[in-house]
Amino acid sequence: MPKSRRFFSAHAKRSLLLPALFIAPAIAVLLTLSIYPLIYSITISLQEETSAGIEWGLGHFARLASDNFFRTAMAHTFVYAAAALTCEFLLGLGLALLLNKQIRGRGLFRASLLVPMMLPTVVVGVVWRLMLNPNFGAINGTLKQFGIDTESLTWTASPRLAMLSVIAVDVWQWTPFVFLVLLAGLQAIPQEPYEAALIDGSSRWQTFRHVTLPLLKPAILIVLLLRTMDLLRVFDQIFILTEGGPGFATETISLYIYRTAFRFFDFGYAAAMSFVLLALTNVISVIYIRFLSHR
Amino acid sequence: MRLTKFLTLLIVLCVASSTCQRTPHPVKKQLTLAVVSGVEGDALKQAAAAYQSQTGTTINIAEFPYSNLFEKELIDLKARTGAYDLIMLDDPWFPRFAYEQLMTDLTPLLQKRGQSGPDADFVGTSIALCRHPYQTGSLYALPYVGNSQLFFYRKDLFEKYSLKPPATWPDVLAAAKTIQEKETEGANGGKVYGYVMRAAQGNAAVADFMPIFWAFGGEMFDPSGKPTVNSPEGIAALELMLELGKYSPPGYANFNADDVGAHLLQGTAAMSINWPAWISSFSDASKSKVIGKMEFTTLPGAQKPGQAEIGNWLIAIPRTSLNAAEALEFLIWATSAEQMRASALRGNPPTRKSLFHDKELVAKYPAYPAQLRSLENSRPRPRTPYWNEIENAFGIFLSKANSGELPPAEAMNQANAEIEKILQRAR
Repeated sequence: MPKSRRFFSAHAKRSLLLPALFIAPAIAVLLTLSIYPLIYSITISLQEETSAGIEWGLGHFARLASDNFFRTAMAHTFVYAAAALTCEFLLGLGLALLLNKQIRGRGLFRASLLVPMMLPTVVVGVVWRLMLNPNFGAINGTLKQFGIDTESLTWTASPRLAMLSVIAVDVWQWTPFVFLVLLAGLQAIPQEPYEAALIDGSSRWQTFRHVTLPLLKPAILIVLLLRTMDLLRVFDQIFILTEGGPGFATETISLYIYRTAFRFFDFGYAAAMSFVLLALTNVISVIYIRFLSHR
Repeated sequence: MRLTKFLTLLIVLCVASSTCQRTPHPVKKQLTLAVVSGVEGDALKQAAAAYQSQTGTTINIAEFPYSNLFEKELIDLKARTGAYDLIMLDDPWFPRFAYEQLMTDLTPLLQKRGQSGPDADFVGTSIALCRHPYQTGSLYALPYVGNSQLFFYRKDLFEKYSLKPPATWPDVLAAAKTIQEKETEGANGGKVYGYVMRAAQGNAAVADFMPIFWAFGGEMFDPSGKPTVNSPEGIAALELMLELGKYSPPGYANFNADDVGAHLLQGTAAMSINWPAWISSFSDASKSKVIGKMEFTTLPGAQKPGQAEIGNWLIAIPRTSLNAAEALEFLIWATSAEQMRASALRGNPPTRKSLFHDKELVAKYPAYPAQLRSLENSRPRPRTPYWNEIENAFGIFLSKANSGELPPAEAMNQANAEIEKILQRAR
């Protein structure tokens, strides 16, 4: 019997019924919680409420071009993501290389490095907000002990220092994650290539450049992808640390989307901005994968 | 086949059980309230519990933090879920709810009870907030908590340096300078800042700026509705705010209410605009280092007499409520003099004139006469359904000016342009 006909036989129908029933709840959940909201948000991003009723079109997307707040928030998001990612990656890689060796107290180091990552972001935000308080905070308090004038160090309230402060907090919290993934990657590299490199007389830098880095690529790809996606949609810690301020100095795109949707109740425009963010995140992810997954 | 039978049976059972549940219960009155968490909501919850035990009406409470309440209420009312019978509203939200016709007009309901309108005991400026259009239109809510801004200052320092109580904003500036220069040994050894304000973007910066703006003769919109924040008066007001900023603690460009409160309670700042809810903490020894040293008065003026920003909590009945009549009974009961007195004893300023003169309350809250004067002369934030968006944009530029990112005139010009854009989109 040809395969296609057997597929539709009565017996097969019955044997498909049970699996279908088991899958049905998952499909239903997916449809109601993911697919429907997705379609709905596409719909509202294409609808504009006017006095004449609902108008269809690309009005929300056209508005993006003339929205200074949107452009600035996007720029902040990319500055924030690029700076935090660079610091986290370099620090994480450095730490992973250091702690990949047999040194005393390695376990203790590793465990203590993981603490920031395990704290809820909201808690991290509140703790740092208190520490960065220019008048009563621990950081300026400590600096004062060393005789440093802290009058101008207003951290989250200064347009110049606020972005630096929120980036520093992200680096503090998420470097351990980068470290953890890269360390796992390093430990998965077999010894043989290193032995071969040693026999060939390569220097430490050459070994790192031509053996460690290429073999670490899959781990690097994963960590860069995950961190970039997280950084581009950063919300909670900035919301708690500065709420986007002072002025607009630390407003990222997620904060602006949140405000547009839930403060100004313009869900259509918020949805349009979300899709732009989604598209950009996708483009960046594809670039990463292109560069890092092939030689 | 057995499976099909089993499934059929299952479906039949499901349908049967759900229809059984839908058979009407013996009618028991039930109300659902959306309240804000914190002292204002707590008072209403207490009133609800008392009402429940007196009348047998079951009252369900849905409690949300301030930052979520607006979105929760607006989403539910727009989706017509009928989830709430009564909602607490911060007064700047009211125009949005009224504009979208989401609330029940109370006048016909009051007339059914034989009342022509709200009780005359309510403070005029408070009841004006509950009408749409402002002051003149139909009544859609009743005022529950009667906040309006006050001017807080350190009486002891003013006496020490023979300064007169601040009547105008230039007086405030001069006093701030004197105190900051002369008072170098603050409550905890540090210096005392002359003034403290909130200039974090959004609500905070706008609330602390509006009384200065109004006193200088600034108006947010001209009679035709065009924004005019960059008028010479508006820029002069912002310049004064920045001057005051020189005597404010470092970092004030990101301060919120808690930062201002902390400075005043610690005795590290001498003056501020603040809300009545903070008054009681100044006599609490566990929080305050300045017991008996604070004075609370009405706001200073400039070209015009001083006016405070009003910030009342209102209670309204959504149009989707299925129990509007019952909800009104509760609303009238909760805003009655007796119940509002209980709320006042818990720390909420009332909205009834008689309670501001109540002997026991005045003994407990000596600032009541000043509060009533402030409330009766107060002004609402501009009444527009787009206030949240406008306040956000305006606050961003005020904060930018205060953090030194933009010069005052430039900040006001940019703010004006952004507000114009918001209004154009709305048209």
